[in-house]
Amino acid sequence: MKRIFDAQLLGPLAAMGLVTLVVALTTDRFLDPGNLSNLALQVSIVSLVAIGATVVIFTGGIDLSSGSMVALLTMVLATLVKSMGVPLWPALAGVLLLGALLGALNGVLTAFLRIPSFIVTLAGLIAYRGLALMFNAGSPIFSLDPHLEPVFYGRLLGIPLPFYYLVLFYGAATVMMNNTRLGREFYAVGGNPAAAKLSGINVRRVQTWAFAIAGLMTAVGAILMAARLNSGSPNYGQTLELQAIAAAVVGGASLAGGRGNILSTLVGALTIVIVQNGLNLNAAPSAVQNVILGLIILVAVGFDMWRSEIARIVGGRAARRTEARRGA
Amino acid sequence: MMHPSDEPLWDVVEVSKAYPGVLANDRVSIRLMPGRIHGLLGENGCGKSTLIRLLSGVDRPDSGEIRLRGRPVALTSPTGARELGVSTVFQEFSIVPSLTVAENVFLGRWPRRALGLIDWETMRRRSGEVLAELDIALDPDAITSTLSVAQQQLIEIAKAVAADAQLIILDEPTTALGLDEIAQLHRLLRRMRDKGHAILYVSHRLDEVTALVDEVTIMRGGRVVSAAGKTAVEVDAIVSAMIGGDVREHYPKERNARPQTILRVTGIGSARGVRDVSFTLRAGEVLGLGGVLGSGRTEIARALFGLDPLTAGSLEIEGRRLRISGPSDAIRAGLALVTENRKTDGLFFNFDGRANISSASLPRYSTFGFLSLRREDAEAASLARQLELSRGAEDKSVRHLSGGNQQKIVIARWLLSQARVLILDEPTQGIDIGAKLAVYRLINRLTAEGCAILLISSDHDELLAMSDRIAVVRQGTIADIRAPEDLTHADLVRAATTEIPTEGRTAA
Repeated sequence: MKRIFDAQLLGPLAAMGLVTLVVALTTDRFLDPGNLSNLALQVSIVSLVAIGATVVIFTGGIDLSSGSMVALLTMVLATLVKSMGVPLWPALAGVLLLGALLGALNGVLTAFLRIPSFIVTLAGLIAYRGLALMFNAGSPIFSLDPHLEPVFYGRLLGIPLPFYYLVLFYGAATVMMNNTRLGREFYAVGGNPAAAKLSGINVRRVQTWAFAIAGLMTAVGAILMAARLNSGSPNYGQTLELQAIAAAVVGGASLAGGRGNILSTLVGALTIVIVQNGLNLNAAPSAVQNVILGLIILVAVGFDMWRSEIARIVGGRAARRTEARRGA
Repeated sequence: MMHPSDEPLWDVVEVSKAYPGVLANDRVSIRLMPGRIHGLLGENGCGKSTLIRLLSGVDRPDSGEIRLRGRPVALTSPTGARELGVSTVFQEFSIVPSLTVAENVFLGRWPRRALGLIDWETMRRRSGEVLAELDIALDPDAITSTLSVAQQQLIEIAKAVAADAQLIILDEPTTALGLDEIAQLHRLLRRMRDKGHAILYVSHRLDEVTALVDEVTIMRGGRVVSAAGKTAVEVDAIVSAMIGGDVREHYPKERNARPQTILRVTGIGSARGVRDVSFTLRAGEVLGLGGVLGSGRTEIARALFGLDPLTAGSLEIEGRRLRISGPSDAIRAGLALVTENRKTDGLFFNFDGRANISSASLPRYSTFGFLSLRREDAEAASLARQLELSRGAEDKSVRHLSGGNQQKIVIARWLLSQARVLILDEPTQGIDIGAKLAVYRLINRLTAEGCAILLISSDHDELLAMSDRIAVVRQGTIADIRAPEDLTHADLVRAATTEIPTEGRTAA
């Protein structure tokens, strides 16, 4: 079925293709299987957190709290497993639930108490990191559980597990956005909240759901972060929220809400990571990497903003050509 | 008074302009004379807006010539057009709500003193002079956001005068105005005409146009089909030129009212000023709500639809007492509300036509939260065909549709939701005659199927012609319900203005 949302995937895909081509041509080791699987590991955490960030952006909000929430959740997980002796699997379930609840709290403050999401989650960005520091006197907790590391490093049929998480969660998110009532309501609320209300959509409930999903995906990111280093730390997830938002934006999600394709966010995250990877392999200093990342975000948003102008210029020529042909 | 000269102020000669996929203006010519009010008419999508954009420097023509007092000029930007004395009042105002009246009158051209500081004294004095000259009773120090829409519009015109504009273009200036306000605007425009300004006036309200303009140009399909001087300034001639045929039946009213009551409203009130409103609505009936702007008609609609909580009274649909705590309850009970302003709270501009049509029916298409896209597609497409939406409208973003098609989309939404009682708030405002007729036919079809309609309209002819009964609303309550045969146009005006409504029009 043809949906307007599909066309929005093409631009980001083309951009990623271009970036990949450039990096592949200029960097010998880029296409090594080792490097590619490393790339999948690198992109996985940001991409999963970015699902939530994107859903919130679709509804016209923003979530700045996910990076700090990752730190808090890894410390909660570490404390549960290490100090309180909770078995690993129930502890993981608890962390997922807590993430969803903290996200829902962001949503309630935004939707029902009408505090702008930028402010609510900015407060979260500051406060959650503070809360994380209250555990274990602010020190990281190491060697959590021998079964935790395989959650990140494990392989199935020779392919790293994070690859499967990406397929699973992006598949589910795509189905949610395109095939469920809630997904449609996310777009409706982001596109025109007044019209959504008049259509009988419970705008506040929908906004709260978006933040709850963001919290859940942040918890997924936190678990993978803890598994990657088998530890919890109040310093994890610094600027993760900004990377997640960058992935959404490079993927073409409109910060005004209502527009974008969830799969594009994965493409956006991949684009960023491929550029970083290429710079790494060419031994570019991290300062340069940051400057380039900033430029990518500017260009991506610029393209989005100028899209109508670009279309007008290109389309205008086409229309004149058609007209000329008709006249001839 | 200056005498209308034979020398045109602006002479647009055979300009053409193409946008992607459409030739919006095809060799359009129009002459604007000083000291005359020139009406520009045509259905939506006929190219009026394009012509305005060309004249106000927003877009540039692909070919043709625009002459000012006989000399070809290039209108390369809105600023450039303003410098040449063109001032355009668009439907979306360009005033800043947080500034004072005086600051808006001189917006961007504030008188300066040394060091670039604003000369507040001069600005207030001169804006006071401009307002006095135009006979506009507004305090230059009032904050604009505290004023009514009509007063804000007067500021737009004062702005044009302060900028010494010789040509003033007004695009649908009266859509948001009440009767007195329209009369005041017309007085103002006539005075400006007598001072020698050229005025280009775009409107859909034919009665208003014929009462005001000196000459008309009519466009259809991007071309001028009737140039000024060739069409008599009278309704029938204009209508037939606009739609390109003879309109015998202006209002195709069918009477479909049946005896059984479908909605019973008893003594409802709301915090927004609705008080003790009671009426019944029968199946197939159209109940018109007449009254001036601010009389409380929209507020009654809001209370019925659950947007404002009821503070008193009760609702019954088909004998069942309703508890409505929000629009979703109202929709489930079979109510629908087509709001006055489809752009702000009707349409989803991020959606295609299909998703716009289905937005109030999502519960019906979902099983365990999953939408049946195929059913949505099939039912929306079948409605689109029935309502004669433009081809492919379901797949297009609604921003690319004409006003008439957008309105059909909003109405289609409520047909899909299987509404039994439709509240239509100014359903034909800002759409062209062809689309209006389509809305009237739709009202007939709905009532034939047994739906009841509450019609709010400021177009008295429309209200009298399309209603089975008319309730006159005054200060939040129904003053009187009568059959349209017992009411005349004049009665409605009188009924609406006997008590001068206070809401929204006290000058600050």
